Amino acid sequence: MLTAETIVQSLVSGLLTGLIYALIAVGLSLIFGLMDVVNFAHGEFLMIAMYATFGLVLWLAIDPILAAPLVAALLFAFGAVVYVVIVRYAMRATANRGMVQIFATFGLAIVMRGLAQLLFTPDYRSIPHSWTEGNNLSAAGIYLPMPQLVGAVISILAFIGLYFLINRTDFGRALEATREDAGAVALVGIDKNRVFTLGWGLGASLVGLAGAVMATFFYIYPDVGASFALIAYVTVALGGFGSVFGALAAGIIVGLIEATTALLFPPALKSVGIYAMYLAVVLFRPRGLFGSI
Amino acid sequence: MNRRDLLTAGTAALAFGIRPVFAQSPKEIVIGALFPMTGASGQTGVDAQHAVNTAVDVINSPHELDLPLGKGVGLPGLGGAKVKIVYADHQSDPQKGRAEAERLITREKVVALIGTYQSAVAVTVSQTAERYGVPFMSADNSSPSLHRQGLKFFFRAAAHDEMFSTAMFDFFETMRKKGHKIETLALFHEDTIFGTDSANAQTKLAAERGYKIVADIKYRANSPSLSAEVQKLKAANADVLMPSSYTTDSILLVKTMSELGYKPKAIVAQDAGFAEQSFYNAVGDKIPGSITRASFSLDLAAKRASVGKVNAMFKARSNKDLNDLTSREFMALVVLADAIDRAKSTDGEKIRVTLAATSIPGENTIMPWKQIKFDASGQNNDADPVLLQLVNGKLITIFPSAAATAEPIWPMNL
Repeated sequence: MLTAETIVQSLVSGLLTGLIYALIAVGLSLIFGLMDVVNFAHGEFLMIAMYATFGLVLWLAIDPILAAPLVAALLFAFGAVVYVVIVRYAMRATANRGMVQIFATFGLAIVMRGLAQLLFTPDYRSIPHSWTEGNNLSAAGIYLPMPQLVGAVISILAFIGLYFLINRTDFGRALEATREDAGAVALVGIDKNRVFTLGWGLGASLVGLAGAVMATFFYIYPDVGASFALIAYVTVALGGFGSVFGALAAGIIVGLIEATTALLFPPALKSVGIYAMYLAVVLFRPRGLFGSI
Repeated sequence: MNRRDLLTAGTAALAFGIRPVFAQSPKEIVIGALFPMTGASGQTGVDAQHAVNTAVDVINSPHELDLPLGKGVGLPGLGGAKVKIVYADHQSDPQKGRAEAERLITREKVVALIGTYQSAVAVTVSQTAERYGVPFMSADNSSPSLHRQGLKFFFRAAAHDEMFSTAMFDFFETMRKKGHKIETLALFHEDTIFGTDSANAQTKLAAERGYKIVADIKYRANSPSLSAEVQKLKAANADVLMPSSYTTDSILLVKTMSELGYKPKAIVAQDAGFAEQSFYNAVGDKIPGSITRASFSLDLAAKRASVGKVNAMFKARSNKDLNDLTSREFMALVVLADAIDRAKSTDGEKIRVTLAATSIPGENTIMPWKQIKFDASGQNNDADPVLLQLVNGKLITIFPSAAATAEPIWPMNL
């Protein structure tokens, strides 16, 4: 059943999904690049963002896409607080620092999931209506689902914004400098803690955007982050730990590989393609496509 | 805190830890219930808890219900002892299920187990129960391989997926006779024992009865995306789409179908996700006319007073109507408690013997079943399933004709 139509549709779906994977992953990559901390609660950040979107839609009766900036702002605050209250202390550990950081964010993930179970119940939520729904574009038998299309556009805009933020602003330069040498920046008057706090906020706000986008087409429940977090880790490893634009390229590659594997083989094997590629990267180019370490 | 305080506190804590064992009064019969209370299927477990608690209420408190133990208080065979449930969360994980079953049997001293929603977990739980000689009542598992494990302590009052699938194919036969064209089928099933067994049963029936399976899509449960899968279903465009999916994947399936412009001619689902209120809340408006198999129908309340009363009791707890799953969970505890009552004992082997001798006529249940009678493998073969169709946001019984309250609408999309 390999017709031109199914091939094009697969590539289009893969590209749209890939851009959203990239948006989910970039926050993780940003935080890692900045301070060598892997946020194991990344999937739970996504979950919180989806619930926040759901809550805002119910409470303010606005469209989830309009809620996206608000969710990003909320998540910014949340990320900053997580750094100040938890990660900052985890980084002070004198022995086994890597382990302490892993368990600090991993523990946070479990706490967040448990609280979500308690407060939101394990029921499946879903945003009933949004202007993106049903407004699908189709031409010559190829369907462009509006929710994913809007998500992909938001993802591209976010990456453009991120590019300017990192390359054209003082904050971006401070970010770059801190990641180069966190000790030395203190000598030129940059407060390392402040940069880290803003970095966590920025990383979380990006996953917040992703959550708002996801909420338009995905169901929401306390464990929703798990399967996306796994893909985010693979994406970050493929793109190169810490490389923001590596995450963009890797997200698209993961989306396309997933779609084409499912086209050529039984769909049950579709994640095999992703992990086979992941394995190849780990073996032949362990620093990832664009990684510097 | 000095060392003496520590010793005192420690001893006190130890004493408290041990106390419940001594304090366990013989006036209480403890039964273990294993359900997924957290994780992807957490809501199912929470609803199951309400259903089981409703059954406990029916058994322990005085009511006027035409059910076993539906009148009077407690278990008369054991001097009016009350039933107490200890819940365990197996998190949809077969290995956690095994560990929790063991804990319930050895530490909580339960006399029997019920559960477990996922068939994959029922495998490990039923084998553990067998090893300890404790009866396991499968409440809401539907894989046929469960009662073919050759276990003595396994019982299931409800139907399994071969019975359910047979009902679907009988229904196709009826529709064919009415002049509808049903020739091709598309199977869509998740990759654990539930989806696999269901697809095997459907493949076998399709071959026997002359239907062509034009797509057989097996997918990973809780997939982040189903675009590729739906594209294959759309390309196949079968006369009937037959999903066997849990709630998360069912929601994503319907959302993705609508995004990719696939309107199936008909959906006949193997329950699970398609039995859940949260599924219909999320995407029900996209699939009017979809059909699911079930073992319960609220329409029965018109004929049998107990159905409406039990439903009201359940609704007071859960704010939901009884569905296919919760009705089976309710019934499972009633049947189990009835056997313990007749055994007049908490001994596993004695309960097994009375369970095997169970004979409850359909009128004394809340189900559309002929009766409850277990065969040598512990399966009740008289648990006749029904098919329900989503019409104007409500599930209406359409098959078999004896139980139907409306004519089926076919096809759902031209």
